[in-house]
Amino acid sequence: MPDKRTTLANSSLLVLLLLAVITSLSMGTVQVSPPDVLQALMGNADPMTAFVVNELRLSRVVAGLLSGAALAMAGCLMQTLARNRLATPGIIGIDNAATAFAVASVVGVGLSLAPSAMALAGAACATAIAFGLAGANGTRGYRFIVAGIGIGAIAGAVTQVMLSRVAIDAANAAYPWTVGSLNARSGNSVLVLAIGLAAGYGILMLISRALNTLQFSDAVAIALGTRLKATRILGLALSVLLTGLAVSVCGPVGLVALLAPELARTLCRPGKVPLTASALAGAAFMVVADLLGRTLFSPLEIPVGIITAIVGSPYLLWILLKPSRRSLT
Amino acid sequence: MTTLSPARAVASRALFPPFVTAGLLLFLVIIASLLYGAGPVSPSDAFMVLAGSGSEEARFVVSELRLPRTIIGLVTGLALGLAGALLQSMTRNPLAEPGLLGVSAGSGFAVALAILFGASTATLTSFVAQLGALAGCALVIAATRVQGLGNDPVRLILAGATLTGLLLALTSMLMLMDQRAADEIRFWITGSIAGKPLSMLQATLPSILVALVLTIIVARPLAAMALGEKAAVGLGHHPGRIRFLIVLTVALLVGSATALAGPLIFVGLVVPFIARAFAGPDIRKTLWLCVPVGPAVVLAADVVSRLIAAPAELSLGVVTALIGAPVLLAIVRAGRMPSL
Repeated sequence: MPDKRTTLANSSLLVLLLLAVITSLSMGTVQVSPPDVLQALMGNADPMTAFVVNELRLSRVVAGLLSGAALAMAGCLMQTLARNRLATPGIIGIDNAATAFAVASVVGVGLSLAPSAMALAGAACATAIAFGLAGANGTRGYRFIVAGIGIGAIAGAVTQVMLSRVAIDAANAAYPWTVGSLNARSGNSVLVLAIGLAAGYGILMLISRALNTLQFSDAVAIALGTRLKATRILGLALSVLLTGLAVSVCGPVGLVALLAPELARTLCRPGKVPLTASALAGAAFMVVADLLGRTLFSPLEIPVGIITAIVGSPYLLWILLKPSRRSLT
Repeated sequence: MTTLSPARAVASRALFPPFVTAGLLLFLVIIASLLYGAGPVSPSDAFMVLAGSGSEEARFVVSELRLPRTIIGLVTGLALGLAGALLQSMTRNPLAEPGLLGVSAGSGFAVALAILFGASTATLTSFVAQLGALAGCALVIAATRVQGLGNDPVRLILAGATLTGLLLALTSMLMLMDQRAADEIRFWITGSIAGKPLSMLQATLPSILVALVLTIIVARPLAAMALGEKAAVGLGHHPGRIRFLIVLTVALLVGSATALAGPLIFVGLVVPFIARAFAGPDIRKTLWLCVPVGPAVVLAADVVSRLIAAPAELSLGVVTALIGAPVLLAIVRAGRMPSL
């Protein structure tokens, strides 16, 4: 049963997200007033406005919304599984690996599938390798994270290798996407992401009780009736799925997966895994970041991944650098 | 402070075999670097040139293209290897690598900024790169002074990775702002020692020489500091001053290397890792061994970058990342992380 505080947090995040979406739909080279945006969405605006809002901007905003929600949920999930708030797909290198595989598909390296499938394969590979290298520790412990940094570096290098071997035009076209951008999205990938997100969210809601118990020690979780291994594997698989699909739409947009769950955790009641709130916060964050990227230096467009890196990195640095209670003793 | 104490004599005997082996390897890599290339000049043609004959074209390729490239590779490797060893010893962190900690990225960002504002002379670029590296170093030191972070190698690395990400994002933004600068930066930022004129080297040589002298000065006090701050003070050293000198040295070395070759990550990790494996915990021996190992690693990576994708070339930074990341994983796997 959702408690009062969580309901309040979720609804305020939802309002925030709606505001962000409407603002994003109204701002750009052609300004549309918010009431007109609503009119256009309901299908009774003049053709020009309707075209700008529904044809040009809506698909982009939806892509941002879905990928932000997916990344944030994947991050929240992985943080819960690893019991470490730094363990997010971006830091563990899953983003980069998914990008490398998807770039392989985009630039047309021999044997390849659609970008979504390739990104999924990349994400799965990176996770598997990080696990293998982390040894018996599983997702717990810092070794997993450093292994991920190494994997991320290798995947980044491989992406560069591929980009340097194709024609300059193809490389230029793929470049914004490798830093994270909503420009290069394809309709198909967005559709696959929407289906994956809906399915993933459904399954997560079903196992949310088991996930909540993961915050305790293993012994307590088992005593509460959680099937630990199954829950972990399912959770990890879902976070890989969500990350891979999101990356196939927007590229490796960093730090959404770290910041959104962080915000959600502050707002919601402690003791529960704030999946819904994370997803809403992530979607809002992504939409706002993309809006900033589009309008700040207009007509120049800054890829959304650069905006999230510039906004998010100082916060991550602050987490890392501030003296923790443990080390002060 | 007698230089020929018995302990020192034993130490140099132990250092001798690996040093000679590494020297021989370096020699072989230099020859390979002169012989092999992505272009049409074959190894046997190039060998003729080295032997004193050979065609006009081969002579041009070897002496005008491959020789400067080899020399710049030597200097870059030397600088990055020493910088890594110094930084790791000072922070007592086997993962403290200029590239991973954001020093190279700081330097790269400064250069990108300079290129954007129209700087194009080699002297200016290398000066700016050193300033950027100095700022990056200062940040690293500030970070290690933060309570608890000094003893936590992984958190430090993560902070460095974050800083690198931030600086890369800012650099990308600069590249978007200006197409002309972007073309210049894009080539430079992936790290490469191909096609760099020797005048670049002349611009950085003074600071590298200063850094080498500083390295010799700080080596002994640094070895004392490995015993602990108090022991170093007891032996008559001033840890604060030494630390300042080391930061300066690392900034000079990394700045020069970055100006020459762009931000190369992982070289400063791999080279001291190899050197330590053979030289043991004494930083003076490690530094000596870095002298042949650093250039050998960079040149070997460069030769690989020419051959792996021939007739095209990979950028050197990609190859060092591919070599270095597994070493990072190996260090983490070994599970003796905070051992310095």
